[in-house]
Amino acid sequence: MTRAGFLCFLCFLWPFLGSCSRRLPETAGILRISQRNEPATLDPQLATLPDEFFVIRALSEGLVTPSPVGGTPIPAVASHWEATDNWATWTFHLSGSAFWTNGDVVTAQDFVYSIRRALTPATAAPKSSLFFSIKNAPAFLHGTVTDFAEVGVAAPDDRTLVITLARSTPDFLELAASGPWIPVHPATVEKFGINWSRPEHFVGDGRFTLVEWLPNQRIVVRKYPMHRNSYTTLVTGIQFLAFDNGDTEERAFRAGQLDITMAVPATKLDTYRNAEPSFLQTVPLHETRYLALNTTKVPLNDVRVRRALSLALDRKILTDKVVKGGQQPAFTFVPAGLGRYVPAVSLTENPDEARRLLAEAGFPGGRGFPRLELSTWPVSTPQLEAIQERWRKELGIEVALVQREARTHLAALAVGDYDLAFATAIPDYGSAADLLNRLTSGHPDNYPHWSNASYDRLIAGTNLTDAEKLLLNEMPLIPLYFNAKNFLVRPTVQGWREDALWTRYYENVSLHE
Amino acid sequence: MFRFVVRRLLQVIPVLFVIVTATFFMVRFVPGGPFTAEKTIPPEILKNLEAHYGLDQPLWRQYLTYLGSIARGDLGPSFKYPNRTVNEIIGDKLPVSLELGALALVIALALGLTLGVLAAVRRNTWLDYLASSAGLLGMCVPTFVLGPLLVLFFGIHLGWVNASGWDSPADRVLPALTLGFVYAAYIMRLTRGGMLEVLNQDFIRTARAKGASESRIVFRHALRGGLLPVIAFLGPGIAGILTGSFVIETIFQIPGLGREFVNSAFNRDYTLVLGTVILYATLIVGCNLVVDVVQVWLNPRLKFE
Repeated sequence: MTRAGFLCFLCFLWPFLGSCSRRLPETAGILRISQRNEPATLDPQLATLPDEFFVIRALSEGLVTPSPVGGTPIPAVASHWEATDNWATWTFHLSGSAFWTNGDVVTAQDFVYSIRRALTPATAAPKSSLFFSIKNAPAFLHGTVTDFAEVGVAAPDDRTLVITLARSTPDFLELAASGPWIPVHPATVEKFGINWSRPEHFVGDGRFTLVEWLPNQRIVVRKYPMHRNSYTTLVTGIQFLAFDNGDTEERAFRAGQLDITMAVPATKLDTYRNAEPSFLQTVPLHETRYLALNTTKVPLNDVRVRRALSLALDRKILTDKVVKGGQQPAFTFVPAGLGRYVPAVSLTENPDEARRLLAEAGFPGGRGFPRLELSTWPVSTPQLEAIQERWRKELGIEVALVQREARTHLAALAVGDYDLAFATAIPDYGSAADLLNRLTSGHPDNYPHWSNASYDRLIAGTNLTDAEKLLLNEMPLIPLYFNAKNFLVRPTVQGWREDALWTRYYENVSLHE
Repeated sequence: MFRFVVRRLLQVIPVLFVIVTATFFMVRFVPGGPFTAEKTIPPEILKNLEAHYGLDQPLWRQYLTYLGSIARGDLGPSFKYPNRTVNEIIGDKLPVSLELGALALVIALALGLTLGVLAAVRRNTWLDYLASSAGLLGMCVPTFVLGPLLVLFFGIHLGWVNASGWDSPADRVLPALTLGFVYAAYIMRLTRGGMLEVLNQDFIRTARAKGASESRIVFRHALRGGLLPVIAFLGPGIAGILTGSFVIETIFQIPGLGREFVNSAFNRDYTLVLGTVILYATLIVGCNLVVDVVQVWLNPRLKFE
């Protein structure tokens, strides 16, 4: 027993000995923000998730950057710019006061390098389609154009970048402000390859430098005092803490370990609203939650059925009584205020008209209507149960709810293996075109598998307003609501801003004890 | 004994081979892939990505390539994290899970064995009832209830420890207790059962008749046989406790292997799924082997043949 006892004693000591030597993170003047998805990478051209760009935007900046007060993007590395040829040629003038964190000046050539990198097939940049409006860019990615000089990107000198687009694009600035347009430091990327974005090699041009990255634990950035706007960086650093569970995150917030959360658990929303309203912030998102209708299946191939399903809903009750998180009912597909887009029509709700259309389609009172499946990813189901109940009551039809694991659901949407599906659309940048493009024939995100030649023509002619009108008339999808983001902010944090496209703003954020 | 161990080690190879093969093909036949996302990646870009990771090759060739690389000890690149390899991720996360698991195991053994022995020796007394009820409770209350309760009380109400995280030594206390309690409950029940069985046997009566003291009977004669069911349980138990618990790691925000394992399945990170499965399998097989050896050592009626 003594031998075994000693062994037990050693077992007991060893973990504590190991843990005592570990360094604790400093906290003074450090803003502690929660994240949900662990960043796969901090490389702007390879990143895809909002959580990745939360960190990347602290470390680097592009030509222009989203404005914290909304509207047109504001200058960043480029101090000013002009567009000619009916918004088809854009000339950016770099201020010359933007530096990489190793001391190099940010040049126009750095942007040419970064754009070329995003369009090089070997980079396999997932968001390279955000560069496709540049002349010859898709052809370069496909390999039909091999000389990058033919692509519409040129740097006549260190401080001038000329971008020639394939066609007139008035909202090009929104594209240029999107995350994947953030440049990389060419020499660092050439030297370290894919490992350049590790903390020991990272070189950015932003207001913070990367200090530490412990996967699934935290990412730490520190104020870069040489940044030209560092006087508006009022915190000494930021810790991005990885919380993949909302309840754990909320407990950490209550224990004082966290300044800003990513979300509020739905079950605790009312409690905070009533007991601690000053902690709670709500930001409307440019995210449309909708029902995709599989237009290749009977009876959803009948436009009368599709319209009946939409007319029978009550979106206001859905957002105010069921979802209850500050979401707005969606009577258009494109969220209000996205870019400069102004919708021309909006959906109506009319159960009588819905019953009439359903009867006309051959299902009076819902008789003979097949039992369809309404599939979803693991999301709170009351909202879908409300829709199920509404259709049962108003139209006399039955749908079955089916919950599938997230990627299984997405894969089923892509191949059309569903009847009705709950889906979400988040634009990559602030433009209605990005959302409406998805419903063109054969687009990979055209989940309803809907094909309409007139719609394709309208989109090709950038006549977005008429395109959306046609879309809402043909109803391959039923918009439900525009999502909102609820999160908690400690009162010690001042000046915190997030926008509808998942950008967090770090300038002028301060901590007061 | 040497022949026994060598033979058992040789048996590990076909077992692992079957596990790797089954897992390799199972993860591939799950719908969706590593690059499935809310916004679909355009086909031409997807083609580049697949070529980059060798997913454009026929499945059998990918399988052979994978077998070749694991034979060299290389578990491949992660599909989710472009600049990290599976070896690196496991090397990073396994120590965290080992640390948590070792602490929980110490708590589980200390609590479980003590209570189990006490309950058996003081059978049908209030002590037995108390220990047995605690054991039953420990088995019934799931970790996702116990963990948050402990956090609410010690982390938020009293403020003695952090609600979550894995930085200071104090951060280890609640997760280790939560994980340890569950195992302690099983160990307690098994110890009590095993001890009761042994205490009723003839050789114990003989020892008593010869005038051996009660403590000598318990520790010297009974415990050795009474622990056999616990040892059998500890084989897969230790492997499970050391390789991390998804629930505990999520509740306490611990950067361990359990979270990586479950998330890798959601992310369709094929190589990371395979890497963790191989690790789990190896540990389970290894722990079972150790348990077999210990059992023979404890139980003179067993032989290595």
